[in-house]
Amino acid sequence: MRLSPLSISVFLGCLIACISTCALVWFLFDSSWPYWRSFGLSQIFSSQWYPYESLYGLLPAIVGSIWAMFIAMGFAVPCALAAAIVSSEMLPCSWQNGLRLSMEILAGIPSVVYGLIGLWVLLPWLQNTFHLLTGHSLLAAGLILSLMILPTIMLMAQDALRLVPREQREAAKHLGLDWNQRLYRILLPQAWPGIRSGILLALGRVLGETMAVMLVVGSLDRLPQPIYNILAPAQTLTSRIGREMGEAAFGSMHFSALMACGLLLAVTAIFLSLFTQRNTPQT
Amino acid sequence: MFKSLSHIYLFIFSILLWHNAAFASERIAVVGSTTVLPIISQAASQYHKLHPDIIITVSGGGSGVGIAAIIQGTAQLGMASRETTKEEKTKLNGRINNITIAADAVAVAVSKAVYESGMHQLSLQNIADIYRGNIRNWQTLGGENKPILVIDKEASRGTRHVFAKAVLGSSHARADGASIISGSNNEEQSIISQSNQAIGMLSNAWLNDKVRGIDVLIDGKAISPSIKHVRDGSYPIARALHVLLPKTASPATQDFVKFLLSKQGQLIVKNVGYLPVQ
Repeated sequence: MRLSPLSISVFLGCLIACISTCALVWFLFDSSWPYWRSFGLSQIFSSQWYPYESLYGLLPAIVGSIWAMFIAMGFAVPCALAAAIVSSEMLPCSWQNGLRLSMEILAGIPSVVYGLIGLWVLLPWLQNTFHLLTGHSLLAAGLILSLMILPTIMLMAQDALRLVPREQREAAKHLGLDWNQRLYRILLPQAWPGIRSGILLALGRVLGETMAVMLVVGSLDRLPQPIYNILAPAQTLTSRIGREMGEAAFGSMHFSALMACGLLLAVTAIFLSLFTQRNTPQT
Repeated sequence: MFKSLSHIYLFIFSILLWHNAAFASERIAVVGSTTVLPIISQAASQYHKLHPDIIITVSGGGSGVGIAAIIQGTAQLGMASRETTKEEKTKLNGRINNITIAADAVAVAVSKAVYESGMHQLSLQNIADIYRGNIRNWQTLGGENKPILVIDKEASRGTRHVFAKAVLGSSHARADGASIISGSNNEEQSIISQSNQAIGMLSNAWLNDKVRGIDVLIDGKAISPSIKHVRDGSYPIARALHVLLPKTASPATQDFVKFLLSKQGQLIVKNVGYLPVQ
């Protein structure tokens, strides 16, 4: 390999990127270490979060984050995939571009705007439709998150579907496959790596979205009663960090507990991306 | 427009130079309680008219955030609507002057629909029962048959400390009957106004047509959260509003605090709706 200035700077850039990622995870681990050392893993299963009484139970927030993730992915992935399939297979070119443009605009809207839309439009609607005490709930958080990740998944899925060569579709037609078979047997398996990256990106955003979730989830540190009750106010890991980070003094146990929430989120994201990478068929 | 690279550099350099002139002025960052915020915002704009070279930025976050910012040195002036706790005092280590600039009442606020159904006063014990989850429906207290939407606040907020101390016994008391947790006065006000069965804690200057403050029953007497009752000490959920001035603060910051305590500053306090320091 020639050691030209270009190759050196490219290598340096790559090194900086890797070091930043490792430094981030190391920082999270280092700041949350006092918390893990004092309480061990037991607090993950405790449901009492009262910092002033030195109780730092993470269970309600973890359950809330998991529910928000499932609801968001459950709504967004089918809708976005459907939009991508319609756009790349059925729509004429000008409509495709129009849809793509509108999705890109949607993807660029700041998350706090989604939070305000949720607060002023979604919450009253939820309150009236389900006759709830208040619209603040995990369902509200999940719906707002699904709205935020829909453009991302749709755009990447559409790109992946477009990359499947036209010859594949023509060959399928010549073989007499109907539309269903063409979609499920030919197009989707070949476009799957691209679709999967889109879903992973969206998952990262769902796990990490703070502002919008904080405004609509209710921020109440209580386990949903019963566990599948997504219509009651609850807490997520990001909402808790958002609400309490300003007042936790740097270096205190409260700060470490909040960093532990961040570490859990980072570890989940890393684990999910590693897990899905291993299932890649090596082409 | 740009004929060459050197022209671009010249353009960027001249913009930076122009902005540098603005850096000669002093910036004071004020952080903390959203109850004190209206006073400081209005005082800051008036002060800026008198001293145009001093720029004051005011942000919220709550009393806890304000005190933490002063401890960490990220703000020049802190706002708090409660006393500093023991842990905070140890961390502050005598480095600040805690100056009272006003006093106000924490009103027990209810939605307009609740107020108009006849709920005009509650005893401290009733309010405590609502926040502990022992009373869940307005009907139990003589109102309409609606479940109570109990709005609690983040544990570090000054309003919450003062409310919890007067109603639940200790400033960090648990409120197991809470339905949701809100943050700033703004957020609480909008949640109460959007609902028709809510109860919450709100500084009395933030009450409006949709968010009504109810009287507190003490020994059979109904005491409203008005300035009059704060002055004579009869309203139980009242507190002093402070600014935290570090002892090493710049002369401009100290002058701004003097302005807050002057006649002009205290007139702003009165206009916002709080009790001026006499």
